Amino acid sequence: MFNTTEVYVVAHSLVPGSRHYEKGLKELFAEAFLKILDQVGNVNLGAIYVANAFSEVLQDQGTLGAFLSDYVGMRRIPAIRIESGDGSSGVAILEAYNTVRAGIYDCVAVVGVEKMHDVINVKLNKALATITDYEYEGFFGVTPAAQAAMAMREYMLKYGYDYEDLAIWPIKMHERGSKNPLAYMKKQATLKDVLESEVVADPLRLYDVAPAVDGSAAVILCNKPVKSDVAIRIDGIGIGAYGTYTGQRDSLTELLSVRDATNMALRAAHVSIGDIRLAEVHDTYSILGMLALESMGLVRPGETPRLLSTGALDVGNKLVVNAGGGLKSMGFPGGASGMYELALMVMELMNVKPFESLGKAELGIVQDMAGFDLVSTSVVLRRVS
Amino acid sequence: MVDQRLSVPRYWRRMPQYYRLEGVQCIKCGRVYFPPRAVCECGSREFKPYPLPSTGKLINFTVLYSVPAEFEKMKPLIIGMVDLGGVKVVGQIVDCMDPEKLSPGVDVEVVFRMVKMDSTYGLINYGYKFRPINNC
Repeated sequence: MFNTTEVYVVAHSLVPGSRHYEKGLKELFAEAFLKILDQVGNVNLGAIYVANAFSEVLQDQGTLGAFLSDYVGMRRIPAIRIESGDGSSGVAILEAYNTVRAGIYDCVAVVGVEKMHDVINVKLNKALATITDYEYEGFFGVTPAAQAAMAMREYMLKYGYDYEDLAIWPIKMHERGSKNPLAYMKKQATLKDVLESEVVADPLRLYDVAPAVDGSAAVILCNKPVKSDVAIRIDGIGIGAYGTYTGQRDSLTELLSVRDATNMALRAAHVSIGDIRLAEVHDTYSILGMLALESMGLVRPGETPRLLSTGALDVGNKLVVNAGGGLKSMGFPGGASGMYELALMVMELMNVKPFESLGKAELGIVQDMAGFDLVSTSVVLRRVS
Repeated sequence: MVDQRLSVPRYWRRMPQYYRLEGVQCIKCGRVYFPPRAVCECGSREFKPYPLPSTGKLINFTVLYSVPAEFEKMKPLIIGMVDLGGVKVVGQIVDCMDPEKLSPGVDVEVVFRMVKMDSTYGLINYGYKFRPINNC
């Protein structure tokens, strides 16, 4: 790129994920959006990027952006909806970042919003099946859970793990969630809880699945910080793609789009993976969180369960993974997931409640992914003062 | 069954794949693809139809208890990945009352079954599924 415009995250918010039966897409959107607006006072917002995966299927609503910006009194501001499955947020962040970096707008908002509980479970599964190659996978009943289950089986075979070994992911995530007031799942989980939970897609159990929630999270990106003391800067964003029918993959234990996205983001930020101190990974299923860490190069292939069980990825170590409890604890708000990860990372880097114990880590990475390794994004963020 | 309306042309145009597992073979380099695609990894755009063999081996599988709406009455579904002459296909494994007996490497054959049914007009979608050759 020829210009050197920097991009800062100047405001952030999230509506804790839950079954918000009393709120629709518009109310959830407004709640997160008005919070970020109040944080910055008067900024010249050029556009709103809306990350949402399923509004056509779950709410019968297309052209979503138009009605959302009107609802918050901004019908002249374009709200551009980005759909890339459960990885919508990362792509929305990328697009928003690019417009600021290119000098098109001084400030833009990015809002992830999803309302998963407007339909019954089997209909939600149908919506989730749209993030498979529908003609050949969803058509026959294949869902993301089935794909994750087969990946888990392959991982266990390849590295010689039992299910008990992999249960460390939900245990660790629940432990973090129990200390995070913003989490949806605030209770600790024991090995027994995990082993006795119902089977969703053998070997995947209920505790391996991030629970679907309604929610919204938002940030404002600007070309300069609005406060002078401490600022969070986006130093690099990367996107990677490996969209294909599951049968055409050589392996289910390597996420190639995640690898490419991360390398691109690190290159842009002029840092190496070893410099990263905080990571938020997209753990819609526990196995996908582990595969993401390994594909990003943060953990050596096959090592995640071992490292987790020794506490090496907990607070107090060189690298802290999903300090807030991941999507496992925060809940899975479809296309808004990546915005939750980003909002949490901003809080972690700013060292605000409930993340004071993280110390003053400077570099964090946020990984988002659509479906099984279809499209992924990585964002490298730095705390500057 | 949950209300659904099936689209006839959307299904009809996929009959070669759904009924006969018809993939494509690149005329230039010989690579085979299922599902079919427009451009080969070698860059060629010329393909000929390539029906996959009707027997193969199970590579990986899961028993899926949480299913999409149209499969509610059929749950749990066994979803498996099958190697058919070097091409991997993902689909349902049927006629297996005891999934405990399944393991990677078991021989399977392609069978023709109902996939889903329209709740309003009674349209039926058929397609391939896989059955273990030895009793399961």
